[in-house]
Amino acid sequence: MVHTLFVARLTLNALGRDRVLHTLLGVSLVLLCLVPAFSLFSMRQVQELAVTLVLSCHALLLIFLAIFLGSSTLWRDLERRHTSLILGLPLSRSHYLLGRFFGVGLFLLLFSLCYALLAVIAVSVSATFYEADRPVIWMNLLAALGGDLLKAWLLAAVAFLFSTFSTSLFLPLFGTLAIYSAGSASQEVYEYLNSDFSSQISAGVRWLAEIFYWILPNLTLFDLKTQAVYSLPLDIPALIYPFIYGFVYTSLVLWGAEFFLSRRDLV
Amino acid sequence: MNAIEATGLKKVFRGKKMQRVEALKEVTFSLSKGEVFGFLGPNGAGKSTTIKVLTGQIRASSGEAFLWGQPVSHPSSRQNLGYLPENPSFPDTLTASDYLRFVGKVFSLPQGELQGKITSVLSRLELDTTMKRPIRGFSKGMVQRLGLAQALLADPDLLILDEPMSGLDPLGRALVKDLISELRQKGKTIFFSTHITADVEQVCDRVGIIVGGRLQCVEPVEELLQEGLSGYRIYYRKDGTMCELPAAREDFPREMETLLSQGIEVDRVEPQRRDLETFFLETVERARYEN
Amino acid sequence: MMKRLFLLVCLIVFYGVITVPASRYLLDRPVALKLGYTPSSEAIKLVVGDQKLLLAESLVIKVLFYFGSLVEKSMNRVDIPPEYYGMFKTLKTAVMLDPYNQDAYYFAQAAFTWEVGHAEDVNKMLIYGMEYRDWDMLLPFFVGFNAAYFLKDYEMAAIYTRRAAEISGSDLLTNLTARYFYEANHDQMGIAFLKQREENTKDQGMKSLYRLRRESLEAAQALQRSLERFVEKFGHQPEKIDRLVEEGMISHLPDDPYGGEFYLDSHGKVRSTSNFSFTRGADAVQDGQ
Ligand SMILES: Nc1ncnc2c1ncn2[C@@H]1O[C@H](COP(=O)(O)OP(=O)(O)OP(=O)(O)O)[C@@H](O)[C@H]1O
Ligand SMILES: [Mg+2]
Repeated sequence: MVHTLFVARLTLNALGRDRVLHTLLGVSLVLLCLVPAFSLFSMRQVQELAVTLVLSCHALLLIFLAIFLGSSTLWRDLERRHTSLILGLPLSRSHYLLGRFFGVGLFLLLFSLCYALLAVIAVSVSATFYEADRPVIWMNLLAALGGDLLKAWLLAAVAFLFSTFSTSLFLPLFGTLAIYSAGSASQEVYEYLNSDFSSQISAGVRWLAEIFYWILPNLTLFDLKTQAVYSLPLDIPALIYPFIYGFVYTSLVLWGAEFFLSRRDLV
Repeated sequence: MNAIEATGLKKVFRGKKMQRVEALKEVTFSLSKGEVFGFLGPNGAGKSTTIKVLTGQIRASSGEAFLWGQPVSHPSSRQNLGYLPENPSFPDTLTASDYLRFVGKVFSLPQGELQGKITSVLSRLELDTTMKRPIRGFSKGMVQRLGLAQALLADPDLLILDEPMSGLDPLGRALVKDLISELRQKGKTIFFSTHITADVEQVCDRVGIIVGGRLQCVEPVEELLQEGLSGYRIYYRKDGTMCELPAAREDFPREMETLLSQGIEVDRVEPQRRDLETFFLETVERARYEN
Repeated sequence: MMKRLFLLVCLIVFYGVITVPASRYLLDRPVALKLGYTPSSEAIKLVVGDQKLLLAESLVIKVLFYFGSLVEKSMNRVDIPPEYYGMFKTLKTAVMLDPYNQDAYYFAQAAFTWEVGHAEDVNKMLIYGMEYRDWDMLLPFFVGFNAAYFLKDYEMAAIYTRRAAEISGSDLLTNLTARYFYEANHDQMGIAFLKQREENTKDQGMKSLYRLRRESLEAAQALQRSLERFVEKFGHQPEKIDRLVEEGMISHLPDDPYGGEFYLDSHGKVRSTSNFSFTRGADAVQDGQ
């Protein structure tokens, strides 16, 4: 298990020196600084808008990072044959895979933490412009950020899975993107199909949609933005479900990734 | 316990459109502790494929292989192995010492000794000045040296090197040859692939020649060179001028006797042998002819 | 190998165990949460660039869908008052992004006048829309109706019905309605309007919304008539609404399509426990506002 940590550390080390990521971090910093200014565009909902902006930026950046890093990390190792060096060491493929994943996950976590800190500042500043009906519940804001992080981890795992059996970068990149959009919409589609509105839709389509609904990740679960923006009370299930669901789903996906990687010829 | 044990290795690559490439047809050999083994073969013969099977990178279609008695599918078989892949490529945002530190940890080298080992192995390969630079900026030869450095870092008893001299300048080649001799002295087992027969002649105990995925022969280098002895060339002085006289192996004592009895001063005698290169070329010829 | 298989089986079981209740949980979330938060249109405009129309359409569809699911499953599920507000606000954002969006206006008329009593707000929105959809006679027609029926502002009603007549060219229908506004009694006016809409709306959801409302109005009207007959005959109000059936004034008590039960209030008016609304208690909130 320590091997996993070593690989994770190596990954984090390499990511920390990546220039693309430096640029991205810079961009997010600028965006956060702009949040108080932007939020003034809403006359009465300054604070709500600030929270929305902060959360949307976070979700966007994190999902971009998750898909990009998740797809490219393994892919680059395989494509540039870093694996022949790394896996030529007394290191098992599962430890290597987990290490790489934890490295990316840890990076996302660090990014999220830094972002959260700055976000709290940005929202506090915005909140002073106009007194909102309900004050910000910071726990909700953090929970919403956490939900996005869990979602990003899950997506990174999906990207890992795709890159274990693909030789090109396109499949992990666009496959994960597709899973992301499908997973975000699946709950609404499911509800629609279960309502009388959809009575004209054929049984076959419904059946197919139902299967997809249970197989695809249900990303709606991770969306706690509304509660954060309106400062609505967060119930326990809203916190517990994403956590457990995210853990189980991510583990399943990683299991699949390990399955494919352990059978792949590293040429 | 043998350092390497390979029996009946076969590998079939399946490409797109049901293409099949039989990269290894039959490879069986073993390497005992302390041996230096040169693995010769033309391009595309299956050298790298064999090495990848031995290091667990790819799975043989059939046959089995063991390092130090452990099946190669298991990571612990590499616990006492230093491996240099062909054209190594490192995660290039890292620095040399970052990567070596990682390697040391995976080999569970004690934390205290790690830095010292890194410095010494880097300086052995004359990379000490570039320790703190990102690998991205390394030249081809420097990357190759770093590849050797990471293989040597944990001081393993077995080294598997895929073309260790490729991309190196003459100085580097000499360095690697020195290194191999030095390791051989220390009793390490070394398996390396190469195209250059002279390298094998100089440092190897045994040589294996693979052609078209089939291991054609495994011979002790010393014996090959002995067998290959075809005759001698005798240099002598006569009336102040240098003359030379070729003599077949069986004629040599007689010729010498004649010369000496004439009171002629023999300057030097050089053995004439069919060298490894010729042997290699003949083997390849024969193998191709047989197929 | 066995260990891995075991792990897989465990994970699949866990997945099944967690995913079913999680899905249940999501299904049962209040509509306000499903609808999510929509930032103000000014803010959205800055970000979405040239995708305004798409976003507006998706907002409208979202509102339509959740309102639809509300109508169906309705009854007890909904307990958070502000979702009507949220939906109306979302619609308003949608028309700010795309002032030509027909669905948004028609749906606002169908859903937020009777249901929520937002006739005044709806009229504001419709008048805003008229500037863009200047060929659409229905918008002024709606405004006229709302003015007459809900706001009892007959002057305004006259102005806008005239405008509707101008746009439609053939002023038969609008003139007819305009006369109605003055002559018909309140319930008749409502029923006539609802009938007209029911026949002319293609959207199934909106159609059923109009139908439901018409049926409830008709039921209430029938009861009201029988009540009047009762008073005529006995000279006093019945103590309970059941008396109307007992005395043969009406064959049976009609069903309230909104799931409530009819009763007589202290002023002798026919009312329903459902308040003719899917959101119990929503009215109370509005009264407070
Ligand atoms: N991934 C692969 N897919 C299909 N064929 C492959 C693959 N890798 C190797 N081969 C084939 O296997 C054969 C042996 O290749 P290998 O790399 O082992 O040769 P080599 O002896 O190392 O040659 P070189 O001296 O050029 O390095 C070649 O014919 C090659 O085309
Ligand atoms: Mg090779």
